[in-house]
Amino acid sequence: MEEIIAKLEAFIRELCEAEDDPEFGLDINLFDTGFLDSVGAMDVIVFAEETFGVSISQRDLTLYPMNTVHEIAEVVGIKKGLC
Amino acid sequence: MNSVVCLLERAAARWPERIAVTDEQESLTYRELRTAARRAASGLLQAADSTAPVMVYLPKSVQMLIGFHAAMYAGRPYVPTDAAAPAQRLSRILSNLQPSAILTNRRLAEGLQAVDLGGVPVMYVEDLVQGAEDAAAVDAAVARVTDADPVYVMYTSGSTGEPKGVTIPHRGVLLFARWAEKTFGWTCETVIANQAPLYFDVSVMDVYGAIRCGGKLILTPEVLFRFPNKLPEFLRENAVTSIYWVPTVMINIANSGALDDVELPALQSIAFAGEVMPNLQLNVWRRALPGRIFANLYGPTETDVCTAYVVDRAFADGEALPIGRPLPNMKVLLLGEDGAPVKTGETGEICVAGSGVNIGYWNRPDLTERAFTADPRNTAWQERFYRTGDLGWYNAHGELMFAGRRDGQIKLRGNRIELGEVENAGRLLPGAENVCALFDRTRQEIVLFVETAQKEIPLRIARREMRGTLPAYMMPGRIVCMEQLPHNANDKIDRVRLTKWMEEN
Repeated sequence: MEEIIAKLEAFIRELCEAEDDPEFGLDINLFDTGFLDSVGAMDVIVFAEETFGVSISQRDLTLYPMNTVHEIAEVVGIKKGLC
Repeated sequence: MNSVVCLLERAAARWPERIAVTDEQESLTYRELRTAARRAASGLLQAADSTAPVMVYLPKSVQMLIGFHAAMYAGRPYVPTDAAAPAQRLSRILSNLQPSAILTNRRLAEGLQAVDLGGVPVMYVEDLVQGAEDAAAVDAAVARVTDADPVYVMYTSGSTGEPKGVTIPHRGVLLFARWAEKTFGWTCETVIANQAPLYFDVSVMDVYGAIRCGGKLILTPEVLFRFPNKLPEFLRENAVTSIYWVPTVMINIANSGALDDVELPALQSIAFAGEVMPNLQLNVWRRALPGRIFANLYGPTETDVCTAYVVDRAFADGEALPIGRPLPNMKVLLLGEDGAPVKTGETGEICVAGSGVNIGYWNRPDLTERAFTADPRNTAWQERFYRTGDLGWYNAHGELMFAGRRDGQIKLRGNRIELGEVENAGRLLPGAENVCALFDRTRQEIVLFVETAQKEIPLRIARREMRGTLPAYMMPGRIVCMEQLPHNANDKIDRVRLTKWMEEN
């Protein structure tokens, strides 16, 4: 799980140019705070699917909250049978 | 009886057990929707004998559909309201609207605590649908309504920051729903997946088109629109036959490549409106779904859809798509600067008359008078018409082409925004001496120029400050601080210079 979180965090920080932004955090809502929009969100899911070899369906997206780095990582974890 | 609520009366009689509407939590059949709405209407009627509108303050849900119909069954217009609207905006709407009731639920009622309700009663849908139906009272209330009466009031962005209540008559919605059913070949097997918020006029065709034909309305989970590459999968799993989505969503789906991976045999009609649909991405859709109906619809909130173009020929990637011809109950005229109709091929302001046009801005006769004209020089038209502020011209096929705006109004991701409203919110930023909002077309974002001694106002801080006044879709994407904003010879803020600065930086 640690590795999944770290890789997702690094990817999202780079994607929204927040490498050293003090407001960024693993539990902030990436959408409410304006870090991600619809195009960015899609990039994150494509990255997660390709990097971790999982498939996240439209059902998963409505079933699980995926607003924070931790929440996205958890869905990847569930798909990999880690949590 | 000839009001929009007849559509539900008819559907509940013909197709009582078919699913009318479904959201993430629940589904209602036509019979259940009718019963729930008539019970809620009975509660409204019991609380007050009034014809004043009902504010429906709910999230996109089955409950909201109950709310709309409850108001109509009580013989009153409904006012769909953004459940995420800032308190200040709600207060302004309420003071202009003077509603007879606010229909909401317990969970959302907290959001109303910061709003001055001015004594308007707050009622909960979940309670009202448990009450008894007073059939006689409901039937009497419905019988009082004529098709010229207002069915809904929708608030749009106003340039001074004061939202304007567009008021649409029943007959406009009825004729529009009939046109949609015919144009798209809808039946009771039709499945419509909605995208537009229910407080925007784009949703009107989804809602009443579905009820008119006895089809199923799916309130698509909003979260999915963040993941356009997953939307085709949603359409396939739900056997969706019809969509009416904003171009931004259509473009994102086309660009994601997801249309190549999914077969969508059920999807028969694809409509879009609200902003320009580029042929580059439309062609991706047309290649993936040959032989389907594609339709480009046009119309401001004041007219809802007034012209439509059903795509009937090939377009090159960079070519512009027509906005088509007027709907059967609408008339369109292009007027030049001098107020006279322009010659064929020339550009003029798009003016619209017809049964679906705004009755007037709610409680704002001054605004109504400015936006509507009955020009005596124009002998072709005796009736009053609405000046859209949009420009258009007729192509060689006799189809209307869109040619941009006359004023400070912009379209961003399908949302209509007055830059003046953004500027009014910007003036409240701490340390802001003066402001100017411009639209950056290339980056598709609003840029707010602020005259201030501060070197920088971080975007997220500015957004936090403006959250109380501006809805999320109106937020600037960039804040530029300047010691002094440039002025032109008339001592007005020099928008031309700022636009140039914006393009260069």
